[in-house]
Amino acid sequence: MANLLWLQGGACSGNTMSFLNAEEPSACDLVTDFGINVLWQPSLGLELGDQVKTILEKCISGEIQLDIFVFEGTVINAPDGTGEWNRFCGEPMKNWVAKLCDAAQYVVAIGDCATWGGIPATAPNPSDSEGLQFLKREKGGALGGDFVSKAGLPVVNIPGCPAHPDWVTQILVAIASGRGGDLELDEFHRPKTFFSSFTQTGCTRNMHFAYKVSTTAFGQRKGCLFYDLGCRGPMTHSPCNRILWNRQSSKTRAGMPCLGCTEPEFPFFDLAPGTVFKTQTVMGVPKDLPTGVDKKGYMKLTAAAKNASPAWAEEDIFVV
Amino acid sequence: MTQNVQDDDGSGAKDGLSGDDQASQRRMIEDLFEGGLETQVDPFPETDKEFSKLLDQLRELGPEDLREKLVVSGWKLTPHGEDEMRCQECMYYLVHKRWCDLPELDLPAEPEWWCRLWRI
Repeated sequence: MANLLWLQGGACSGNTMSFLNAEEPSACDLVTDFGINVLWQPSLGLELGDQVKTILEKCISGEIQLDIFVFEGTVINAPDGTGEWNRFCGEPMKNWVAKLCDAAQYVVAIGDCATWGGIPATAPNPSDSEGLQFLKREKGGALGGDFVSKAGLPVVNIPGCPAHPDWVTQILVAIASGRGGDLELDEFHRPKTFFSSFTQTGCTRNMHFAYKVSTTAFGQRKGCLFYDLGCRGPMTHSPCNRILWNRQSSKTRAGMPCLGCTEPEFPFFDLAPGTVFKTQTVMGVPKDLPTGVDKKGYMKLTAAAKNASPAWAEEDIFVV
Repeated sequence: MTQNVQDDDGSGAKDGLSGDDQASQRRMIEDLFEGGLETQVDPFPETDKEFSKLLDQLRELGPEDLREKLVVSGWKLTPHGEDEMRCQECMYYLVHKRWCDLPELDLPAEPEWWCRLWRI
């Protein structure tokens, strides 16, 4: 059995909602089939007030072994570094987070806010928010760059806005079944099993990307969303087109540009007007090119692809 | 229901337009330039903000404002600049339909033409 405690800081509960939609395994399966004992979770816990505080204190003292501490939402430091804007069980949440992270075998940050600050930490970051071990791309965060939990791992970051339920359940199952030590993390502490490939990997629009045919308006099924509508699929590490949402689809399959929500910079360009759903260009060339491609190579590739483009690439090939 | 028709050269024409209509529009564009039409080739919209402003101007035009569309977009019948930028490599260009698919323009185009809404 693995004891799990889940708390929320500066959060919208989106990751909890996503987690509760998990299937195979479901949140219930985690308890009945995988031996996860949920000590408390904001949307599931029955305890209130002092009862919750007692659970937290027992985890910190070691009276209850805390195997997995899950945190959702930012660590709020305002005002003036006190964290008083986000109080929980009688003290700033940031204090609870620090003590619980020290007590936990594994610490798992779920969603962009907990991993690197996400939307709340967007400039001017009025709540002085940060993630557990990162603030955007900068390592450090609330726990410091050198933090490792008792099991010897840094915070396991599962980003996303929200994170896909399968990413969450599979990591929790891995830890609960004693395979936490097998987790390989990338430079941003994301499990490589999910975050080595790109959002574009498996996208149904890949042929249009290859032949440089652009979607020019929302709702079009032909074309690639990267060239004009700001899709970040070629630069974003996520398995959104390998592990489908609701087992059905993904943003890009449904015609919605990827917003790059598993990357530390999300939301990109600080949400400045005109930067969302519009590919940012300099002199007609995208500012952000597909990962690993330089400008010269991109221009050569485009010329070759346009020359080779077949007629069907200009049509809507989905006839349903 | 609209259907694609075949151009004289066998390529698909733009949806909803017959090959003749498309050829006629193309001819109109060429005639305007032969008549001395001057378009606003400069400044090139360096950033998206400037690009968006041009799109806003184009959206205010009616579908029949061909001349004004060409002027605002800085349309040319030759490649542009040191890099020889041309429609052929532009993201909005449909090479088989020989068509500019940017909704605000939505005009026939030739591979060697260019306008300042070019993007790759």
